Amino acid sequence: MIRFLIPFVAVVLFLLEPEFALFSPISWGEHTLTLVPRFVILYLIFISIYYSKKRACLYGLIFGLLYDVFYIDIIGLYSFLYPLLCFVAGSTVKFIHQNLSITTILSVVLVALMEVFLYYFFNFIQFTTIPVSDFLSNRLLPTIIANLLFLIMLGWAFKYLINARLLQRARDNS
Amino acid sequence: MPHFTNKKLILLLVGTIFLVALISFSLRDRQNASVPEQFIKDTVGFAQSIVAKPANYITGIFNDINSLLNTYEENKRLKMRLEDFAVLQAEVNTLQSENESLKELVDKEDSLKDFDPLKATVIARNPDQWEEKIILNKGSSHGVKLNMAVMTANGLIGKISLVTPFTSEVELLYSNNPNYRVSAIVQGEKSDVFGLIEGYDTERNELILKRIDSSFKVKKGEQVVTSGLGGIYPKGILIGEVTEVTTDDYGLTSMAYVKPATNFSMLEDVVIALRTSISVDGSDGTGTNADLTNGSDESETTDTIEGEE
Repeated sequence: MIRFLIPFVAVVLFLLEPEFALFSPISWGEHTLTLVPRFVILYLIFISIYYSKKRACLYGLIFGLLYDVFYIDIIGLYSFLYPLLCFVAGSTVKFIHQNLSITTILSVVLVALMEVFLYYFFNFIQFTTIPVSDFLSNRLLPTIIANLLFLIMLGWAFKYLINARLLQRARDNS
Repeated sequence: MPHFTNKKLILLLVGTIFLVALISFSLRDRQNASVPEQFIKDTVGFAQSIVAKPANYITGIFNDINSLLNTYEENKRLKMRLEDFAVLQAEVNTLQSENESLKELVDKEDSLKDFDPLKATVIARNPDQWEEKIILNKGSSHGVKLNMAVMTANGLIGKISLVTPFTSEVELLYSNNPNYRVSAIVQGEKSDVFGLIEGYDTERNELILKRIDSSFKVKKGEQVVTSGLGGIYPKGILIGEVTEVTTDDYGLTSMAYVKPATNFSMLEDVVIALRTSISVDGSDGTGTNADLTNGSDESETTDTIEGEE
């Protein structure tokens, strides 16, 4: 049961992302703030750190490809970035203690890096013309805050789910 | 590097080339979806529309609460406008009947204004909002075609940019695409003034209406509607309201900032407008100089021939 719960949660998060995107952009005084929900990749980074790097990369490839085909119409962008992020996150396990708060900060930092990369990519192919300062204040910062809030609320649940799965696997093996 | 073998290096190199090739290949033709892409889009779209229903319901509740809080203010404002409205309604009725009888008199059947409305629900918005795009639950099996106009009850929001059998994508007016132009009219007091909606100002969050003849005076607060002359949109769909008029970069024509009539952040139910009068396919944004009107004529005639067979 728990075995299928892990990919199922990823699917649900994938489907919830665009619904939360409907709330954006938010006008805040003179500024228009854009919040980008990045639930799937945050969850995958958790899987990569607590469960299995290989599995996370595989999920990253699948969901990245779905994301590319369904929303972006540029195949190869997210289907490259998602597995890369999972790989990097999984590789840090050797050097960093796997505390929940540290994992949360690490995930948000990785997502922020991805956001910066995407900005330069879309700037390069001229889909966007906003200057860097606007990107940082109106896009990157609100996105980081929103995703951090999301992880603070649900990070423990991800960890609990993954631990339950690990326990079950250990029991099956013994 | 000892542990970085030749084999891995070659794999990395091939992978990079493959990735770049894939990205540039899919960037080249984004108007059409291949069969596996269509399959994925339809499958995800189906799952998405199931999730969208409760989500729309919840956002609906929030909207209701919000409008409940503003009821008093709104009621006051509406009451003031109600008296004007009755007079306006009578006037519209007489004008409409007069228009119809005049049309009969001159045997004018199709008008640029006419369109068949098709209701659709927004099932998703592109979550990384680099491109302003929404996805609807109606596709080519419902009669949706590329480049159809999409609007809400308030006004125009965009055009269809990609169609699969059961979903379609809408490129919103807030687009950086330089080929995305909307032929528009400013409804002045005495005469209508033509212009083109070209791009939007990111800082002001307003659309830019360019190429207005500077001998005409455009005033703040005047309404901007589609002209129907671009070949895609029906005539007379509201776009927005003029907020500021300035001169163009070269000082030859004037340009105006237009505040859109629709709020783009909470889109739920939209209407796809199928123009009933002849429409050109409007894909000449790349400047191929192809004969678009006759091309669509030909395809229509072949369609009818196929239908007869």
